[in-house]
Amino acid sequence: MTRPDHSTYREWLNLDADGALPAESRARLDEHLAACPECRAERAELFALSNLLQRSSVPVRPDFRQQVMSSLPSAGWESRSPRTWAFPAAVFVLLAGVAAFTMGGRGAHSSLLSALTAVAGMFRASAVAGAGLISASWKGLGMAFAATLSSPMSLGAFGVFVLCVNLVLVSLLRRRRTGAAEAGRERSRR
Amino acid sequence: MTQGAEPPTDEELVEAVLEGDRERFGVLVDRYQGRLVSYLFRLLRNVDDAHDLAQDVLVKVYQVLDRFDAQFKFSTWLFRVAQNAAIDQIRRRRLKLVSLRQDDDEGEGRDWDLPSPERGPYGEMRNRERGDAIQEAIDALPWEYRELILLRHFGELPYEEIAHLKQMPLGTVKNKLFRGRQMLKEKLQDFLED
Repeated sequence: MTRPDHSTYREWLNLDADGALPAESRARLDEHLAACPECRAERAELFALSNLLQRSSVPVRPDFRQQVMSSLPSAGWESRSPRTWAFPAAVFVLLAGVAAFTMGGRGAHSSLLSALTAVAGMFRASAVAGAGLISASWKGLGMAFAATLSSPMSLGAFGVFVLCVNLVLVSLLRRRRTGAAEAGRERSRR
Repeated sequence: MTQGAEPPTDEELVEAVLEGDRERFGVLVDRYQGRLVSYLFRLLRNVDDAHDLAQDVLVKVYQVLDRFDAQFKFSTWLFRVAQNAAIDQIRRRRLKLVSLRQDDDEGEGRDWDLPSPERGPYGEMRNRERGDAIQEAIDALPWEYRELILLRHFGELPYEEIAHLKQMPLGTVKNKLFRGRQMLKEKLQDFLED
């Protein structure tokens, strides 16, 4: 087996200071250190440097965790999490159970079938009503659009209105975000 | 007596948070707050800014937690977000790489204190000197070495994660770290025997 050169030992010393020296290199490094005062001094310096940098870490404010947790927003993905759907699902199951119970008396199988039919009917009625509303909305939107395009004056007024609404919304959002962040920081500084 | 259960991994905690257990994010905050604040402090050189940015980074990470790819390490992702945020802030504020001593001369004063293992007037003075020297030595490193030194010594990321974060070969990371350390050692020679 060939002996590693000095630059390899230096690399191993750095890995050692980082706790990343492979076990198979450890014995050979120890053997070399026993005979090389220069590498022993280098090792001592590397460990002293790591220790020095570690000691210079900044202490975290005691209320930092609380600050972070209280400033967590409602993230978009939260609406898709199973917990969000757990409550509506439980309500649905409860309603289906109540329906099955109230329609009971004709045997468990037929009452369950009736309950499911009733729930399906309810969904169908909701879908029909929703489609009707959407259709009416589109018609209304079409009329409003036609009225807006009818003259340059009404088109201009509509443009100004949209611009104003956007400006108000943007300023409200910015005020809310900066206000919340500033309040949190102020609290933590105090 | 039964032994305690293994602490959950970062990836398990992320999964729990995504399933709706918001409080589990607090465990991740506990786990990373020290490293994150120290890392950002060394980049921004202001303890309040470091805390504020660390908070922003954690909130940002929470907001997009569903985009976390579990085949990578959470810490790599977190420190990538932190590094980008810090660079943005440095650019925004046009923070020049001037020494802490210059800041003091300009009357801005030092708004941070290092932990003080040494007590008494001499100890305090020595700690202050040491803190200044460390920051000056870090600031004097070329950026390519400094970013790796900070990720390794303050972010406490292993070589592999740094290589992944910086998209560098592992050998290059090791090499730059070793050279960066040599430069630090030379500059901090007077404090290595403390």
